[in-house]
Amino acid sequence: MEGKTKKRLSESILDKFSIDFLRNQVLKNAYGNDDTVIARLDPRILLVWYLFMAIVPWFVDDLWFLLACFILVAATTVMARVAGLVLFIFALGVFSQTGYLFIVSLFFGGNASTIFPLLMLTLKVATCSLASITVFSGLDPDRLSNGLQWYGCPERLSFSISYAYRILPMLMEEFQNILLSYRLRGNPPSRETLRGKIRYLAYQVKVVMLSFYPLMLNTAKRSRTTVEALEIRGYRYAAVNKAVKKIRLSSLRAGANDMMFLAVSVFWICGAVLVSTLI
Amino acid sequence: MNIIEIENLTYSYPAAESPILNHISLEVEKGDFLAVVGNNGCGKSTFCKTLNGLIPHFIDGDFEGTVKVDGINTLESDVATLASRAGYVYQDFENQIVRPTVLDDASYACLNYAMEDYEERGRRALRMCGLEGRENDYIWQLSGGQTHLLALAGAVSLQPEILILDEPIAQLDPGHADRIYGVLKELNERYGKTIIVIEHHTEYIADYCRHVMLMRDGGIAWKLPTGEALRRVEELQECNIFPPQVTIAAHRMKREGRMTPDAPLPTTVEEGRRAFGGLRYESPEKKASESSMEAESAVSFRDVSLSYRSVKGEDYRVFDHLNLEIRKGEKIALIGSNGAGKSTMMKLMVGLLKPASGEILIGGESIRKKKTEDLSRKISLVYQNPEEMFIKDSIEADIAYAMQVRNVENYRERTEALLERFRLLPLKKRDGRLLSGGQMRRASLAIGVALNPGILLLDEPTANLDIATRKEIMRTLSDMKGITETVMIATHDMQLVCEWAERIIVLCGGRVVADGPRDEIFGNKEVIRTVGIRPPEIFSMGRALDEKALCYTVDEFLEHFKE
Repeated sequence: MEGKTKKRLSESILDKFSIDFLRNQVLKNAYGNDDTVIARLDPRILLVWYLFMAIVPWFVDDLWFLLACFILVAATTVMARVAGLVLFIFALGVFSQTGYLFIVSLFFGGNASTIFPLLMLTLKVATCSLASITVFSGLDPDRLSNGLQWYGCPERLSFSISYAYRILPMLMEEFQNILLSYRLRGNPPSRETLRGKIRYLAYQVKVVMLSFYPLMLNTAKRSRTTVEALEIRGYRYAAVNKAVKKIRLSSLRAGANDMMFLAVSVFWICGAVLVSTLI
Repeated sequence: MNIIEIENLTYSYPAAESPILNHISLEVEKGDFLAVVGNNGCGKSTFCKTLNGLIPHFIDGDFEGTVKVDGINTLESDVATLASRAGYVYQDFENQIVRPTVLDDASYACLNYAMEDYEERGRRALRMCGLEGRENDYIWQLSGGQTHLLALAGAVSLQPEILILDEPIAQLDPGHADRIYGVLKELNERYGKTIIVIEHHTEYIADYCRHVMLMRDGGIAWKLPTGEALRRVEELQECNIFPPQVTIAAHRMKREGRMTPDAPLPTTVEEGRRAFGGLRYESPEKKASESSMEAESAVSFRDVSLSYRSVKGEDYRVFDHLNLEIRKGEKIALIGSNGAGKSTMMKLMVGLLKPASGEILIGGESIRKKKTEDLSRKISLVYQNPEEMFIKDSIEADIAYAMQVRNVENYRERTEALLERFRLLPLKKRDGRLLSGGQMRRASLAIGVALNPGILLLDEPTANLDIATRKEIMRTLSDMKGITETVMIATHDMQLVCEWAERIIVLCGGRVVADGPRDEIFGNKEVIRTVGIRPPEIFSMGRALDEKALCYTVDEFLEHFKE
């Protein structure tokens, strides 16, 4: 009985973790949350905020300050309505970096002196990653690339970011179909025994790698039209034209919401510093 | 006033031995609606690319003669200037769209050319192309037809006087195709744009275009008013262009001496009404239809429900308690507009998708517990996009793959036999992607039947093909009737449906709204109207002459309409 439920559970997890699911999560992440508070912020403000949150914690060893930063970025992550998969990967990442050490040392009778530095490190890693998640998945790729361009990043980079998001859904769908071709016509090893399961896994990995070859060729075939279309639509012309950049960036405007966001962040961090000096 | 003036244009691609365009001279009047027709590879697309300056400014080659567009000599100008004179929409239009949202893409070119009012121009273009209200949508939320309209809006936004479209409706269902031509007509009549389409569908040419230009071997054979052009039946057929069915029918009647030789050939149903006015319909004797009710079940859907995850909001429900029975030996056409659930139904049958609830049985056995790879001996699916079926580096290896990994005895001989049967032997070492449209399609069919499945599913086997290649695939499909017992084709191609299918299933919004032989489906005006089916022209012609008439091919029309 127990075996049966276990089997069903593993089946349903495998079922969920399909390319289709991945595609859905990537899209959700990029575009599914464009109506959140975070998504509406000015990307320039958010980038400055991000630089602070990603760099400063590494140079501070004050528990109160780090905790405050962590709570702040956790709150913004919630506000950005980040997709489940990304959060899962984040949790996995933090745990594999430092979290497991933390738990192991707890079990083997570690005392405050061993736990404390580990806690600090975990907090730093977590803060930095959550800040990245907020900015890079909370903002839609277009606003992000506009923000980067304002700070002088080359136009090619910002075009690549938004173009990548444009073709990603297409690529993933195509990849999925090629994988399906392998599934329909291939003959994977049976997965009854443990050895069979391992062989099956190896087979799957091989198929995923093999699928890249047709994917690349198909993409190359498509890109011929894209290159010509970009030429007609003035992509090269715009790359060297200063006026275009000015027009494009004129849509960026910092408003009351942005100031509010900055003020709350500054107030919160200052509060933390104050508390830690008082204690 | 002439908007395009070409004098003695000769062009050859780099490293090509002979020129692809040969001594072309042409004048196109402002406000014309011109159809360019011609055999595959006769230089139609190349010709169009000389108009917007891609040739010679972006694509090199030997260029002689002069091309003047809206008064500008293309040699002395550049792509940027010419883009605002002549807009271009590619045949594979989805690759032309580079931005994630609709308004962004429509105004992209204007922004790049530093126009201050780029957003307003984008909005105006969207309005002109009938996409008002979709400004903030993402590209992947659009249907195929809407994506095409967006590609058109991207070109319109620069306010060019000329719009060039390469096979605009090849991939679309009839409802969307009508809409595209409706928009083009409006751009032409209301905004005075000159429109040039490369088009194989002569019924659309007859309905919308003013002039037709025939290209042959890199030259222009002639440019004539549409009616006159379409009446040159023999000349067109030599170039693999099929005039409207109405015209063909009248042409054959003339040859058989059933019509006065000097009467002009009709090109539209409206003209046909006058030309065929004297004919009387004799209904054929009803053949006793053999009942297939007793045949064994091949596939059955029992209460099947399925939803897709959506990026935002509620999941999208494709099927809600669907019940359907498919019997052995049936030749079924599955029709319905884009997004009605045709592809999804096929994916369910081969086990690529699992229903959320309900059961699918193949040969009486539920497939829920079956592995996809075991199912593939019983049922096989050929995708709409053949490129996605090529997973090896030659079509020979692709056809052999499924048999090879299953250790099928003498798989080499079987592969050889399949290559021969589908006339692919001389191409067997080539990569499937590099073949022509028709060859690619034949290769994908050969891959599909390699394991000798009892049931074969084909998703849009004739999409994206020119009419000559389409006829060829239709012949191949008729040949295949012997190989596979049960075949189901999802398609928009009503000629294929009428000539090939024995049973037609009409899907609409995930429900089966009609199911039966062709007389039952096409005879039902209600279904035709609600689902947006465009029956073959000859069928509408028959119907226009006599309410009771049911003729699906030119042959049937000639047989049943008597003087």
